[in-house]
Amino acid sequence: MFAYVIRRLVYGAVTLLALSMVVFWLLQKTGASPLDRLKLNPRIQPDYLASLTERYGLDKSGPEQYWIWLKRFVTPREASIGGLPSILAISAGVAYSVLASRFIKSRQFAVRIAKIGAGVLIWGFVLFTVWNRMNIVLDWGDSFRGDGPVFEDITLAAGASFRLGMTALFLAVMIGIPLGIYQATKQYSFFDQLGTTFSFVAFSTPIFIIGVFLQLGLGLYLERWTGVKLFYVAGMTSSSYESFTTLQRAGDILQHLALPAISIAAISLAGYSRFQRASMLEVLHSDYLRTAKAKGLPRRRVILKHALRNAMIPIVTLISLDIASIIGGAIITESIFGWPGVGRLYIDAINAVDYPAIMAVVMAIGAGIVVMNIVADILYGVLDPRVRYE
Amino acid sequence: MTEPLLSVKDLRTYFSTEEGIVRAVDGISFDLMPGERLGVVGESGSGKSVTAMSIMRLVEPPAGEIVTGTVTYHGRNLLAITEDEMRAVRGGQIAMIFQDPMTSLNPVYTVGDQLIETIMLHQDVNKRDARNVAAQALSDVQIPNAADRLDDYPHQFSGGMRQRVMIAMGLSCNPEVLIADEPTTALDVTTQAQIMDLMLRLAADRGTAVILITHDLGVVAGFCDNVQVMYAGGIVERGSNDDIFYRPQHPYTWGLLGSMTRLDEEQQVRLHSIRGAPPSVIDLPDGCRFRPRCDFATDRCAQELPLLRKIEGRGEVACHHAEELDLEITRAVGAAG
Repeated sequence: MFAYVIRRLVYGAVTLLALSMVVFWLLQKTGASPLDRLKLNPRIQPDYLASLTERYGLDKSGPEQYWIWLKRFVTPREASIGGLPSILAISAGVAYSVLASRFIKSRQFAVRIAKIGAGVLIWGFVLFTVWNRMNIVLDWGDSFRGDGPVFEDITLAAGASFRLGMTALFLAVMIGIPLGIYQATKQYSFFDQLGTTFSFVAFSTPIFIIGVFLQLGLGLYLERWTGVKLFYVAGMTSSSYESFTTLQRAGDILQHLALPAISIAAISLAGYSRFQRASMLEVLHSDYLRTAKAKGLPRRRVILKHALRNAMIPIVTLISLDIASIIGGAIITESIFGWPGVGRLYIDAINAVDYPAIMAVVMAIGAGIVVMNIVADILYGVLDPRVRYE
Repeated sequence: MTEPLLSVKDLRTYFSTEEGIVRAVDGISFDLMPGERLGVVGESGSGKSVTAMSIMRLVEPPAGEIVTGTVTYHGRNLLAITEDEMRAVRGGQIAMIFQDPMTSLNPVYTVGDQLIETIMLHQDVNKRDARNVAAQALSDVQIPNAADRLDDYPHQFSGGMRQRVMIAMGLSCNPEVLIADEPTTALDVTTQAQIMDLMLRLAADRGTAVILITHDLGVVAGFCDNVQVMYAGGIVERGSNDDIFYRPQHPYTWGLLGSMTRLDEEQQVRLHSIRGAPPSVIDLPDGCRFRPRCDFATDRCAQELPLLRKIEGRGEVACHHAEELDLEITRAVGAAG
């Protein structure tokens, strides 16, 4: 398993390299220049434009520009992993992983869970140790718009997108999956039909409609009619956030988070419930479920033990890939709710033809997908004993 | 005369489909004696599997419904008791083995886990004892290194081995009745023989009564005491092994026997004819259900549904002309053989 993860990471790095080449090449082929807007401004002197052209390396050939970007991208500004304790911790992690995958061969579920659980704990400890000691400042190149290294922009934006995306995903998964399971077990009942109707309506409504209606209903009219301001319709925090107590801050965050999160969750929930319903129905009609019933197991056990785990296998992949897509931000939702996430950063970067910023977003999304694919495959192996990674 | 162990009376199981109501099982009655080995033969769609599923009460509403009938087992009507009471019977006293061993075991749990679960459900044992029982059950079905293989997953077993696991699971709680629904259909021929031998021996050792559902007459000939032939949801002929194989009385049985060497071809033709006229309440043909395909049909066959009746010195048959057809069938079978 350890060797498998390392191998997948290497493949992932190669994939990202290829991705960066293709996207960089495409960007240059668009013919758009970061200086286009400045050129339209008659007050800007040609020699200033020339100096910018030189500074951004726009006078160099495409491959050269790519090479300069790549060097900047992979070189951290500062890098130290924190001396002996970190090295010891990493060695311990590697040692466990190598030894465990070499000597613990049992395929029993409990043993595998224990093995993987111990691995997660140990690597968690390693990360904790290293995180506190290391000093790695990534750079990823300077933004053409002059706001410093894009890595800082993207961390801030990714944090915002993550807060929104994870909340929405959490809601969607926690509601959509049980809903799908319940619908499948009561196929064609009134509740099932109701759920199906809801799903189709939610799934086919564009998010800007849902978002705007939520802003109007729960944001505007609720306050107008009741006088209580429950939800904010824009931004991540109030302007006076810094002066709040911890409790007030938590409340403020939730008040801002609620509407955009619900908008995304409503659509994504509809998808999850449909997918879970289909996956569960397939399992419910399987031969091994008939066997489980013929053994005399109670219906609850049949569903929660024998059906659920099989039905969850495809869902796990779906969730993992959804997490990956969160890193790319929710472009439309972030625009509607003034959410300073990656989606907005991306749009701004594209409008300004800001190569380093565009590349940063692309690479962040790419890395997210690569990593979450590996996570999905590992989870797949945990849930399904027929899959093994050697 | 001993009391029957399991007594099915006028069982009717219908399925609602888009085209109408399918009378999968339409008024069948039979008894199963303790330790008896009863073969149920018939082509696909004749209602043999649905009979088994109905006895186990595994026919799922809303699509399928047991309309009438009783299944008497130890003085109780299995169709009338509560679901909880039924669960104790299922797997504990009446166990079932299914057709396709490749898909009948849950792929994500170990074989041991699935066996132990069954044992703990029906017997008052702790997990450690249940594991021992499970290991014994696996070694009874001649799986080598039984105790170690408990920790293996179904995909680590071959098809024949998986069917052994299914048999072990079925017999692990010492049921009085074992219903085997085409247990060897999905296996290759040499494995079939081994599995049938094994099941025969284990059932005989324990005195378990077996209902063997199959379309393979060869399997029935080697395994069963008595045979009943099903056609379109009803029993058309019933008798001892000798009755059925040497003195068949129903034209359908005769057809089956005559077509043994080209069973597949014959089956496709008949399956199609059943599908072509889906039996719904409205257009269910009067009289004998086999009539449209019978060479000996008369006007009486078109008007009156023949009931199962005992023929002196032979088995029971549902045919108006059993006595008259006697010679012809014997000659025809002689010619075919």
